[in-house]
Amino acid sequence: MSPRSKVRPTTVALVVVLLFGAVWFYAGTDGFTAYTTEQARLARLAKTQPSFPPDVTLEDSRGSSYSISEFAGRYVFITFFYSSCPTVCVELERNMEQVYDKLPRSLLDQDIVFLSISFDPDRDDPARLEKYRQFFDSDGEKWRMARVKDQAELDRLLDRFGVIVIPDDSGGFAHNSAFYLVDPAGTLVDVMDYEDADRAAEKVAGYLNKGGAGL
Amino acid sequence: MKQAAYGFALFVFLALPPVARFLESVMIMHMHMQMPLLVIAGYMMARYFQLWFPGFLAKWNGNGIPGIVLFSIVVMYWNLPRAMDESLELAGSELFKFVSLTFLAGLPLRDSWQKVGYACRSTVFIGYMAISVALGLLYTIAPVQLCNNYLLIEQITLGWGFLTTAICMAVYVVYRLMIRHSEYE
Repeated sequence: MSPRSKVRPTTVALVVVLLFGAVWFYAGTDGFTAYTTEQARLARLAKTQPSFPPDVTLEDSRGSSYSISEFAGRYVFITFFYSSCPTVCVELERNMEQVYDKLPRSLLDQDIVFLSISFDPDRDDPARLEKYRQFFDSDGEKWRMARVKDQAELDRLLDRFGVIVIPDDSGGFAHNSAFYLVDPAGTLVDVMDYEDADRAAEKVAGYLNKGGAGL
Repeated sequence: MKQAAYGFALFVFLALPPVARFLESVMIMHMHMQMPLLVIAGYMMARYFQLWFPGFLAKWNGNGIPGIVLFSIVVMYWNLPRAMDESLELAGSELFKFVSLTFLAGLPLRDSWQKVGYACRSTVFIGYMAISVALGLLYTIAPVQLCNNYLLIEQITLGWGFLTTAICMAVYVVYRLMIRHSEYE
């Protein structure tokens, strides 16, 4: 028997395989943080902080049209929805209402606008948006419901903010949902979990307080 | 060797763009038909490689453990919701899916399965059953859409696919434990 101890090739191979697996999983999940595309998208948005695309025209429930750049100088709290949505959007808007209600009045009177943007401009005309507005009891001024009438403009906006909208067979859409916060400079500064209204309200309050202190 | 040729034909067939598009258009076909078929194609082709590189596999996969671990890693990776999404969005990821499931999962599975013992086979089998139950529950219960490219209803269908797979595997386990094969031979 030779006294020298020798590492068996199968052990070497096993180590190589495990290392390969670790590196692959690490790279494929952004360092074990993002296991779904949505998590990866939110992390990427937080890093790149895109801004509003230029020339996006909104038409709101009152029927008035204006450019999205009119919100410059104010924070904008945004959700993307469509009014025929049977499930998620109702919860999304319900939770948006909660964030709205949870914000102290003094902060709400500061420079922030709530904006629900429909990605179904064909059906969500001002009349339909007006009904939706009443349903959620928004005032139409501080919290507006609007559509982007021009499909090309809408696509640019959705693409910029990473909103994925897939039409399904029954005239609805599959889509991802989140709260988006754009700062007074028009830059997307935060994307929040729409299921946690408390946390979102806290965060928004934090941003507003920070902005207030600076003025 | 005929089997290896069939395996290669299956691989080429699955890689045809219309076939790939079609199988990927439905979530459960993507995960429970395309992916397993790729593994099967690699499994069938394994003979080629065992004959071409007999020394390599005998030396580095002598006890079958590295191969079976490699198989498990590759299969687990493609069970991540994100991996499935990315294979639809990134051409590189799609290419890697075909290559890894065929040559890094199916092929080592065959080379290893003959070499590893009963304990290892059972571990892999039970492990896969457990993962199927976990993913099945995740996909049927999760209220949120885990894949951006598929609808929620497809996700629930896939969840039931996983659960039925796990049930079939459990039935097989019970069958193996209850029946003494020697009595029938």
